[in-house]
Amino acid sequence: MSAALSIPTATARADRARRAWRIVLAATLMGALVVGSAILCRVDVVGFLPGLFQGLSVLRFFFPPDVGSLAEMVGPALVTLLLAAVATPFGVALSILFGLAGAANLSPAWLRAPARGVIAVERALPEIVVLLLLVAALGVGPFPGVVTLAIGSVGMLGRLFADAIEEIDARVIESVACVGASRWQVVRYAVLPEVMPSFLANAIFRFEINLRASVLLGAVGAGGIGLELQKAMALLEYERAMMAVLVTLALVFGAERISDFLRRRVLEKGGLR
Amino acid sequence: MLHVDRLTKSLPDGRVLLNGISFTVSRGEFVGILGASGAGKSLTLRCILGLTKADAGSARLVEPDGRSFELTSCTGRNQREARRRMGVIFQGFNLVKRLRVLDNVMIGRLAQIHPLRSWLYGFTDAEAEEAVQALRQVKMETYADRVTGSLSGGEMQRVAIARAIFQRPSLFLADEPIAALDPSNSLAIMKLLQPLSRTTPVLGVFHQPEMTARFCTRVIAIKRGAVVYDGAPGLSHAELEEIYGDELMQVLRPTPPAAPPAGSEPGPAVGLLLPNHPS
Repeated sequence: MSAALSIPTATARADRARRAWRIVLAATLMGALVVGSAILCRVDVVGFLPGLFQGLSVLRFFFPPDVGSLAEMVGPALVTLLLAAVATPFGVALSILFGLAGAANLSPAWLRAPARGVIAVERALPEIVVLLLLVAALGVGPFPGVVTLAIGSVGMLGRLFADAIEEIDARVIESVACVGASRWQVVRYAVLPEVMPSFLANAIFRFEINLRASVLLGAVGAGGIGLELQKAMALLEYERAMMAVLVTLALVFGAERISDFLRRRVLEKGGLR
Repeated sequence: MLHVDRLTKSLPDGRVLLNGISFTVSRGEFVGILGASGAGKSLTLRCILGLTKADAGSARLVEPDGRSFELTSCTGRNQREARRRMGVIFQGFNLVKRLRVLDNVMIGRLAQIHPLRSWLYGFTDAEAEEAVQALRQVKMETYADRVTGSLSGGEMQRVAIARAIFQRPSLFLADEPIAALDPSNSLAIMKLLQPLSRTTPVLGVFHQPEMTARFCTRVIAIKRGAVVYDGAPGLSHAELEEIYGDELMQVLRPTPPAAPPAGSEPGPAVGLLLPNHPS
C-alpha cells in the first residue's frame, strides 16, 4: 500500500524546498511592507514609550468617574440604543429586498446586477462618510444616524442573505415551483424557511455592530452617548467623560450578552415560525 | 390524459438528447419509463414539466373535463395552472427540510389557494385535516409535527407522495422515485404508487425492470432519446439487453455486491489502472 502511494523522493525534496522558499519570500515581503509603511508614516518608536507614560499619567484625571452625572447619561444612552434598535429592523427589511434581488437563483440578471452593485458600493462606504453626506442633506440629529445605520446594514446583511439564498438546493426550489406555486410563494415556502435562522442570527449580530457604530456616529452628529462623551472631552471634564465611557461599556456589553443568547437560541431552535 | 408528441431536444454542441419522443398515458395506467442512464428518461419528464425547454414537439395534458394544457409552450400563469395539475415525486424527495412534515404536504396546494392566504400560512382546518389524511394514506400521520430534515429517505419519499396526493393532480409524475432507496423502502413506495394509478394515471421513470414488471401496467423504453419499446410491462431478457446494452448487469443486480470478508486483501485500485480510463 505504502509503495503504491509514495512519491519519488527527489520530487518530494524539490517540492519541500519550493514550499520553504515560498514561505521565506512571503515573510520578507510582509516585513518590507511593514517597515516601509512605518517609515513613510513617520512612526516614532523611540518617542512612543515616553509618550505612552505621559498618556498614562493623564489617565488619573479620568478618575474617579463622575458618578453624579450618571442620571444625565441615561437619556443619551437610550438615544444611542434606540438609534440602533430603530435602524436595524429597517436595515433588515432593506437587506431582504436586496438579498432576494441579488440572488442568482431567484432574480433575473437585469435586477441582480444592480442589486449586487448597490450592496457592494454600500459595503465599500464607511459609515462616517454616509453620515456626513446625510447630515449635509438632512441636518444634525438622530434621523440621519438611523438612515446611515439602516443603509449600512444592507452592505453586510444583503450580501449574506443573497449568498445564503444561492446556497439553497436548486431542486427544492424547483419542486415547490412544480406544484404551480408563484415566485413569491416559492420565496415564502422554500427560500425563507431555509435561510431564516442564519439570517436572523446575522441580523441580531448586526444589531450589535449598529449599537457600537451608533456610539461613534453620535459623536459626529447623530446624538446620544457618543455626543455626551465628545462634549465632555471638549470641555476637559475628564471624570464626566469617564462616566460616559463606563455607560457605553455597560450598554455594549449588555447588548452583546443578550444578542449572544438570542443568536444561539435562533440557531438551535431553527428560527421563529 | 397525457399526450407527448415528437419531443426533441439537442445540446448547443449538436448532441441530440431527445429525438422525437412520443407516447400517451391514459386513465387507469401506471406507466414506467425504462432506459440506460443518459437515455433521456428524466429529461422527458423535465420537458413535460416545463423545467427544461424542448426544442420541438409538444406535450399536452387533457383534463377529465376536457380542458387541455400545452405543457411545452405555456409560461407564467398558464404554466402554473398546468403544473398544479401534475403531482411530482422526485428522486431526491426535494422537500423543504426546515419545515414541518405537515407544512411540506400543504405546499402541494399552494397554487389552489389565494396568494394572500398562502403568505400568512392561512390553511383552513379542513385543509389541514385533508393533509393529515394524505399522510395517513402513506402511513406517516404520526410524523406530521416533525421537522422534515430529521426523517430518513424512505420517510421523506412518503411525505413527498403525500404532498402529491394532497395536490389532487390529474397526473402523477415520478422521477426515479426509488433510485435513492433501499429494496424494502422501494417496494413500499411502489405499493403506494400502484393504487394511486387506479384513479389518476402515474408516469414514472425507473431503473429496476423487475419493479416495473411487477407493478406497472405498461412500460416505455427509451434508448438514445427515442422510444424503442412501448407495451406490456414484462420484458424478455433479450429486450432488456437491447435497451440497456452494457448496463444490463448493473440493472438486474440493484443491490451492491457484498463487502469482501474482513481480513482479505483489498483489491487494487482498478479504476486507475484501466487503459481506457478518461484521465
